[in-house]
Amino acid sequence: MSAAPATILAFKAGRAFRREGTNFVDHSPEKGAIILQKGEDELLHFIWKNRSTGELEEDLILFPGDASFVKIPQAPGGRTYVLKFSSSNQRHFDASTNRDEEFVNNLNMVLQDPDRIPVWQTASTSQPQASTSQTGPSTRAAAPAGTTPEQLAQLRTLVQSMAGNTSQEPELSLNDILTPENVLPLFTSHPDLIPALFPHLPPDLPTPPSAEVLQQIITSPQFRGAVRNFDQALRTGMLGGLVRGLGLPEEAGTGVEAFLRAIQEQSRGEDRMETD
Amino acid sequence: MSDEESGWNLTESDPGVFTELLKTLGVPLIVDDLYSLDPDSLAALQPIRALIFLFKWLPQSGTEPDPSLSSGSGAQYDPDFPGFFAHQVVNNACATLAVMNALGNIPALQSGAPLQELLAFTAGMDAQTRGLVITSSDWLREAHNALTPPSAISLDGLGLPKTSEDAYHFIVYMPAMGCVYEFDGLKRHPIRHGAYEEGGEGWIAKAREVVEARIATYPPGSLEFSLLALRDDPLPSLQARLKELQEAGRGNDSEAAELIVKLANENSKRERWAFENSLRRHNHLGLIHALLVAMAKAGKLEPAREGARKKMQERIARRKEKGEAGMEVDD
Repeated sequence: MSAAPATILAFKAGRAFRREGTNFVDHSPEKGAIILQKGEDELLHFIWKNRSTGELEEDLILFPGDASFVKIPQAPGGRTYVLKFSSSNQRHFDASTNRDEEFVNNLNMVLQDPDRIPVWQTASTSQPQASTSQTGPSTRAAAPAGTTPEQLAQLRTLVQSMAGNTSQEPELSLNDILTPENVLPLFTSHPDLIPALFPHLPPDLPTPPSAEVLQQIITSPQFRGAVRNFDQALRTGMLGGLVRGLGLPEEAGTGVEAFLRAIQEQSRGEDRMETD
Repeated sequence: MSDEESGWNLTESDPGVFTELLKTLGVPLIVDDLYSLDPDSLAALQPIRALIFLFKWLPQSGTEPDPSLSSGSGAQYDPDFPGFFAHQVVNNACATLAVMNALGNIPALQSGAPLQELLAFTAGMDAQTRGLVITSSDWLREAHNALTPPSAISLDGLGLPKTSEDAYHFIVYMPAMGCVYEFDGLKRHPIRHGAYEEGGEGWIAKAREVVEARIATYPPGSLEFSLLALRDDPLPSLQARLKELQEAGRGNDSEAAELIVKLANENSKRERWAFENSLRRHNHLGLIHALLVAMAKAGKLEPAREGARKKMQERIARRKEKGEAGMEVDD
């Protein structure tokens, strides 16, 4: 026995597409909405609907626990979120309304468990969104009555096409950044760096740490292998938890370029601080 | 059992890694690279207990030839081999499995208790069962994994394309019961290559023939291989002999001088292995991070990024030209 599709959550959102071979995302002017719906197949559907044509242009199936929304702090202009699937490299970018937190939390809750009823905390919206017991299709937008046209116009959903993502060539490799040619001159120009690195060296070296040992390590196949491993691991986009141990934001663990951007940020921050 | 489920990490096939494993097992043997099979090179390394031939067939080279099709070699399967032979049941464990097949056939082998017990426990088992028992041995797996990068960043299970580091195949050649045997964990039985002469080079002469014939079945340039020698650790006897000479007042003659050079070479090789092993066991993430931050502070990170992007584009263009799939980043 299957029920007619039931909308769990819907809100206005636009789209953007990743420019091939880059990390740039170009906004698309189409007006749309994200609709989370429990379909006739009992599965959770993530749908993007074009509000001008009425067409359902994207229809993704999400399994509970499979996906979550993560805010991208450095995306310029809008409130941009990544819809991340834990089961693949696929990433979808969405922008939410200015009640970001609430929507994201509810969206996460719904994605985790479609049978839970999201509760809205607002004066303007009349009632909570319906749970799945509601029959009949419902595609009303959930944005509160007070949303301005400007805000509506600003909403963009960034959805990335599947094919484009999986055939992506790597932009650059950490192995080409941490080359001896790039690193060794640093030891000459910034000799204070050498002792600062000693705590990061293996504790069981056969000879005590020194500039020469550092040089041998940087040029060793074991170190280069470790850089290569880390580079590959970053490409999976799943190192958010790991990079926090380095004092970096979770976003830094989503790719090589993201990691490098975060490093650049971190180095600026450290200059302003006293380090011991 | 898949590599991911097995808990065995892929190790490098490096003499330093093998020798460290032997040390952990309490076995007074070492493994050395063999650069040649000529009599003089091998004589310098005697007594050699086993040869380990590790190789990789390069996929661009067409169909891999089947060495067993080369006739007249006198090689035969020995299904009734009474010694130690184990099947390879986990690919990542291949290096340690080869070592076990060698160690299990060395008479009167000195070793620590765990290995003695494992060898005794598996006596009389068929090859498949023996392989499973070895693979399930926790202490052996831990000894094996001790020389792989810490699992903080384990790439198993992420479905990443494999790099060229894996997929080496290991074959052991050694004497047993008067014949030269071949132990290949992926074959049903040990292979007996026939009897050898005791005098002169002994079993090595026969083994050389067999290995060279094996290599010759592959078209030139289609095989990536290494040869390793499992041999007695020379340090104790070198040191003992030098001490003898010095105590007899002959510390300055030519034999002593030669010994001192040999000892110096051997010790510097051990130090290099110890250095490389310490790097292998280490989690380099802190160092990687600190270097990148230092580069950023010195204003060098941005130029490095530009350079890296260019290099990657050139690399991709070169690959497209050659029509090759995959990408090795240390080109």
